[in-house]
This record gives sequence, structure tokens and C-alpha cells, in this order.
Amino acid sequence: MNKVIISVLGQDRPGIVAAVSKILFRQNCNVENVSQTILQSEFAGIFIASMPADLSLENLKESLLDELHRIDLHVQIKSMQDQDPVFASIEIEPFVITTKGPDRKGLVAGITEIIANHGVNITNLQAVFKGGDEPGDNIMIYEVDVPVGVDQKALDNELRQRAKALSLDISIQHRNIFEAINRI
Amino acid sequence: MLTDREIISTLEMLESENLDVRTVTLGINLLDCASHDVNKLKNKIQSRITHFAKHLVTVCDKIGQKYGIPVVNKRIAVSPMAVVGAALSSSQLIDVSKTLDAAAAQVNVDFIGGFSALVEKGIARGDRALIEAIPHALSATDRVCASVNVASTRAGINMDAVLLMGNAIKQAAELTAHRDGIACAKLCVFANIPQDIPFMAGAYLGIGEADAVINVGVSGPGVVKKAIDRALESNPNLDLGRISELIKKTAYKVTRVGELIGREVAENLNIRFGVVDLSLAPTPHVGDSVGEIFQSLGLLSIGVPGTTAALALLNDAVKKGGAFASSKVGGLSGAFIPVSEDLNISEAAREGYISLEKLEAITSVCSVGLDMVAIPGDTSEDTIAAIIADEMAIGVINNKTTAARLIPVPGKRAGDSAYFGGLLGQSTILPVNNAQGANHFIRLGGLIPAPIHSLTN
Repeated sequence: MNKVIISVLGQDRPGIVAAVSKILFRQNCNVENVSQTILQSEFAGIFIASMPADLSLENLKESLLDELHRIDLHVQIKSMQDQDPVFASIEIEPFVITTKGPDRKGLVAGITEIIANHGVNITNLQAVFKGGDEPGDNIMIYEVDVPVGVDQKALDNELRQRAKALSLDISIQHRNIFEAINRI
Repeated sequence: MLTDREIISTLEMLESENLDVRTVTLGINLLDCASHDVNKLKNKIQSRITHFAKHLVTVCDKIGQKYGIPVVNKRIAVSPMAVVGAALSSSQLIDVSKTLDAAAAQVNVDFIGGFSALVEKGIARGDRALIEAIPHALSATDRVCASVNVASTRAGINMDAVLLMGNAIKQAAELTAHRDGIACAKLCVFANIPQDIPFMAGAYLGIGEADAVINVGVSGPGVVKKAIDRALESNPNLDLGRISELIKKTAYKVTRVGELIGREVAENLNIRFGVVDLSLAPTPHVGDSVGEIFQSLGLLSIGVPGTTAALALLNDAVKKGGAFASSKVGGLSGAFIPVSEDLNISEAAREGYISLEKLEAITSVCSVGLDMVAIPGDTSEDTIAAIIADEMAIGVINNKTTAARLIPVPGKRAGDSAYFGGLLGQSTILPVNNAQGANHFIRLGGLIPAPIHSLTN
């Protein structure tokens, strides 16, 4: 069965998910996964849906673009190959990297560069910059999967050095500690 | 996916509330090292300890770093030396204490406990030799800790042993007079001593334990205090039932940390995991104090009227939260009130809010007992023994652990300051009231019988 992935962007308001899913339902598509988030006032949603055999990607794309543009939403759609995720086959250890420090440009770029260089995958990122120098107002939380083969010490050292250069306090901790403390 | 709240609150506990793992204590069974030949015994002890403990410190540090939680102390607890060295003389046992000290230094642990005897019902030859060896052993070594169990709910109180301990404490203080009697800080007298305490000076590996075991002592008085402060700030009318609930939840979190670290250390060392001791253990630092919790609960200071009730609430809530968090809870598991080791309690002693009598009273509702209490150097051994006997009676009758770690500071009087340094802290010397005259009672000796287990009122 063909699958499609649809991303929707636009100013947040009631009815966005309803509008998208209504079109999918009308076209006889089955929604398999949805994730949405709101950053400040903007909505972003990703839908994975399976299409019936008699529906072409072009036809679905046309109806989505047509109807969603009318309500001022940006849509991207592409077909999805059924394949194993690249990272799934690697044995990993989940860690959480947290930074706090005064807001300035290049913080995310500075930290993620090192994470990427070590082949570490970010699985969730929450960054809130309220601006100013109050460390607690400017926090980045990266949940990452560190492949078992990665030189943990080198990764640690590089992250700490970079954090220092960016005036950030950094913590690097195995994810289990947060689950142990907070969850029953 | 974790929530940002979960992550940020955990980081706060670690960064500003002094949450740490206070100790990972490796228990090592030395019973089969026993020998008539002291050199053989020493060699066996040395190789046994270094074999089991050689990676202890590096593994603790590695795992501490992995989780961002420091393991502050790494310690060893061994089988009671009075049993292992039952065939030895007092001077040979002093020699053995130096071997323990050297082995502890070699594997870089902070303390080694187990220079211990269990004499609640009677004193065997080896026990007597060990008790006689204690003052010299503790003054000749840095890391060795001693404990003697002189009473239990099943056996009663061995008053002959209590008197011997009064003498041992006095001697230990004199032998380290130049350091305010610091040897006494490494000596605990117990009633109902548990077999799996990870904290010093009471840690030893019980006779019923395996070859090796990892026990963990958590800490976190600062976390409890901050949780109470935050809750009362957002709702000043919070009642004590709700505060107890809050302490339970906080103790749960602290205990989970200890269990996670302990299990992983045990797994890495390929040693069985024993227990988490969920005691609130303070240090002489601001924000890491049990005493401060009393102030957060609205008391002027620890020691004022209301203290016993507040401590009862605190201790019970900690136990309930901890017992829910882990099915492997043991050791002392309660709130400690070591006077010199807790900056706030030490301050209460200086300002006169807390007395020896009030300390004794509150030990009926908490672990452990009269802990790190500096008393005048001229306190007689009979008086020291009598204070111990009182403390033991509280434990024996109430079916709980109690202990006395008293330091008669040589050459100093009540109101003077005693300095022990490091985690042992410092304290104003508390007066021992009404201790004049001869104490014939304490010299009568014998056994105070075990208490009746019915008609409990």
C-alpha cells in the first residue's frame, strides 16, 4: 500500500487538523500517524497516511493544496518508501543534553554541530529562548541517541568545551535518571 | 519523550539542592580469612579486599558521571573483625586494623567499617580483645571505623559491654587529644544494629550476608527542604498531612536515584545488589541540612518544643516514600541528626536551642541516636556509659535501632568549640547535666533483660 507524508504549516487556530483529516477521509486515505506542535503562534503538523490503490499522489496533492491554500496553510506532500529507518539497526544509549545560559545567536548551531559530527541522532529537541541573560530563561533540551560505538568521553569533552565557549552551563546525563526519578 | 518540567526539576535537585549518592558501600565477607596465624590472616584480608574492591572507585565515578550524579563516598564494610579475628589478641587486632587501613588506602576508598563486635548477650574472648583494641586501632588508622552492638530487643542490654564502651570512648578520645578526640567520630555503640548499613561508622557486613554485596546510602535533606519551601510558598496554608505527602514523594525520587546507581554499580562489578539506605544524611554545608527542614516546617530551630513531633512526621514520611520506591530498602533508613556534621544543628547547639536531653528524646522517633555529639573532656567513663545505656534502652524498648557516637573532647569544656574537619564538621560542646556524684547503677553490670513483647502500652 502506498503511503504519503504530509506536512502542514500555518498560523495556529482551531480547525487545522480537522481540515486536513477531512480531506484525507474524503479521499479514502487512512491516517496512520500524526504529530503536531505549536511554536509561539505557529502550527506545524506531520501526517502519515496510507492511500487506496485507485488514488494517485497527484490527485491527493491537488486536493490538499487546493483546499488548504484557501485557508492559508502551507502544505508539502511526498510519497513515503517503506524502509527501515537508518538509525534503528544501531545499538544506542539514550542521553539528555541540557544547556542553560544567556541568549545569543548560534547556540543551537554550535551544540548541534558537535552532536552531528559524532553521528549522534537528536530524537527530541526543546529550546526556549526568552532572551536576556537569565540562564533559566534560555534552555535547550536535546534528547539524543548515542550509538554504542561513539567515543563518549570525546563527545563529552567537545560538548563541554563548546558550551564553555558559548557561556552555557551544560549537563549530559543518561536518560534513565529522569525516568527513574519522575515516573512510577 | 520527557517533559521539560521533568528534566528541569531533576536538574534543580542535582545542581542547587545537593542531591547526591552519599555512599556506595561494598560489603566484603572476610569470615573465611580467619586464621591463628596473624600474618596469614592479614595477607588473606589484604588480597580479598583488593580483589573485590579494585574497580569500586572507578566504576562509581564512571556511573556517577553517566547520570550526572556524584557518588560522594566509596566505602567498604567487612565482616565483624571480632569474629574474623576471634583467635587473636588485642595487640594483634590492632595490627589487623592497620592492614584494613592500608587495603582501604590501596583501593582508594574513604572509609572501611567492620572493626566490630556483636556483644548484646555476652562477650566472648575475641570480642573483649577487639573492644580493648578499638582505642589504639582508631587512633593508629585513618579510615577504619568501629562499631559495637551492646543491646538488642531480643537479648536486652549488656551492661558490662556498655561499661567497656564508656572506657573505650574515653581512651580513644585521649589518644587523639591533639585532634579533639577524633577517633571517637569513627566509633558507634549500637542497639539493634542492622547488618547492611552503608553509612559510617556503623557499616559492617552482617554474618547472614553473601560473599560481597553493594549497599547504597542516598542523601537529600536539601531536596526535602526545598520541596517544603516551594510548596509553602505557593500555598502558605498547606496542612501537615499534605506536607507529609510531599515529603513522601520527594523521598521516592531520592530513593530511585540511589537504587538506579546502586544496581548499575553492582552489575558492573558483578556483585549482588543489597539495599538502598534511604536516610536523610546531612553534611556541614548550607542547603544540605536536616536541621534546616525544621525551620522550613515553621520551628525556630531544631530543639525547640515541637521538634519531636516534626521529626516523627519527617522520618515516617521518608520511610513511606522510600519503601514505595524500592523493594530493597534496608540499613538505617531515617533522618540522621549528627550534631557536628549538620551545620544547622551545630548552630542550634551553639545558640543553646538543643541540649543532650532533647537530642536523646528525639532519637525515640528517628534514626539513629546521639550522633556526633561533643561533650566535655572531663566527662567520666561511667557517665559516658550511662548516657549510652539510656540511648540503648530507647532502642531496645521501642524495637528500633539506636546508637551513640559521643566525643568527650579532651581539655575542653561545655560551650567550647570542637573541630573535626571535613564531613565530620565542628560543634559547640554540649553540657552533660546532673552528672555529679558516683553512678553505682552503671557499675552493677550484668544484663538488663529483654523487654516483654505483650502488654505494650
